[in-house]
Amino acid sequence: MSDRTRLTHEEALELAAPFVLNALEPDEEEAVREHLRACSLPHEELAELGSVIPALAETLEPVEPPAALKGRILAAAADDLAVRTVVPATAAASAAAPPAPEPIQIDSRRRPSPVSWFLVAAAGIAIVALVAVNLLTLGRLNSSEQYERDVAAVLEAGAQPGALTAVLAPAEPGGPRGLAAVSSNGDVTMAMQDLAPTTGNEVYEGWAIVGDAAPVPLGGFTVGEGGTGRLDGTGVPAEPGMTVALTREPGSGATTPTLPILAAGTAGAPAGATGLVAALASPDKTR
Amino acid sequence: MSADDAVAPGRPVSTVEDDDRQVLARIANGELNALEALYDRYRTMAYSIALRVTGDASLAEDVLQEAFLGAWRHAGRYAEGRGSVKTWLLAIVHHRAVDAVRRRRPTNALPETEDVTPAALTAPDVWGEVSADLDASTVRAALDVLPEAQREAIELAYFGGLTQQEIATRTGAPLGTVKGRMRLALLAMRRHLLDQGAGP
Repeated sequence: MSDRTRLTHEEALELAAPFVLNALEPDEEEAVREHLRACSLPHEELAELGSVIPALAETLEPVEPPAALKGRILAAAADDLAVRTVVPATAAASAAAPPAPEPIQIDSRRRPSPVSWFLVAAAGIAIVALVAVNLLTLGRLNSSEQYERDVAAVLEAGAQPGALTAVLAPAEPGGPRGLAAVSSNGDVTMAMQDLAPTTGNEVYEGWAIVGDAAPVPLGGFTVGEGGTGRLDGTGVPAEPGMTVALTREPGSGATTPTLPILAAGTAGAPAGATGLVAALASPDKTR
Repeated sequence: MSADDAVAPGRPVSTVEDDDRQVLARIANGELNALEALYDRYRTMAYSIALRVTGDASLAEDVLQEAFLGAWRHAGRYAEGRGSVKTWLLAIVHHRAVDAVRRRRPTNALPETEDVTPAALTAPDVWGEVSADLDASTVRAALDVLPEAQREAIELAYFGGLTQQEIATRTGAPLGTVKGRMRLALLAMRRHLLDQGAGP
């Protein structure tokens, strides 16, 4: 950085107005921030000038964003939360799961990371308006939109009285992830992505595990090339701390999960998510 | 709900801010429904800012997504008692929007940060103090009564995303004059808003 790094108090105050308006060059802005961090003198005028900024926004004519944007933001946030929870949720799922009769291998094909996937999707949205898109890009876009709609459905179900929400984190990095809501009467809505396509009679099966009780099947779904899937099933009434998990079964109607568990999470109201995030606060477990 | 609902006459601003802080605390705890509530409350104002600064609907959507995800990931950095959640959030939106505009120009991007307006976080914002008594048209009037050169400096900076140096180049005014116009304009708006909000 330039020698502006060390601003005097007077120099910093001279830059107060452009600073609060975001009208400084990057090095100037950083110099002011550095001064504010280090200087113990009062900066009353700078605070006064900054206090007007929110009013400037009020002068704008209100414009509504596109309705689809909300789903995109919430889906990205859900994905972010799932990434944060990958390691602990895996450990919790392993502890809760009963012994498996015979393990099956997870499909080794991995889809792009959630971050790059959403960047691709976002970029695709802009490109669509400008140039023709190829079928692969369009397919990803469609699956992205489908996942956003599914996440919105989960959030709606999770907002009902007595319902709980679980973030399903992948057992392995790059594995399936998603979100599930369990209602007070046992209805379950689950939205998943990064799933390998099913073949033949294969299905993805959801499971509810309450305490030491045997896993309860929630229903199954198949997955195409898009890599997303949604489950609308029924299991056991929502109970804080219950585990919601996903396995891949050779056919529908499984009564015992075939390990490994591909993704799992702990259902909870606000406190449930709190616990997950708190447990994941370690920087090496977050993005 | 819209931003207008959040500051509707008859609803104490302090109640809105309390609600906002509770929502932000829930976001810090990883509650997606809380993020949805924050989005519903401020989406209109946030998008209006992003669209005005970028002048591009697609870019404005990207700005909003980045801003709300920034709030989602860094809600824990919000310091209660140092300004309203609304101010914090809209500052993130504006900062991201200006950054997006500058990325399209041959200038450097702004630093990556969610601590975007330390000044605004150290004192109650004027709008927060008087919004229960003023409507948007009164606030627009506070901008309209400014001398033309001062209003131009504010609009080019806040709504146009220009740096003070770029404003000086565009208007032909010395850099020091541009800085002075910005300062005088903000101080005049503050006085005007406080006078209006304080009654006759």
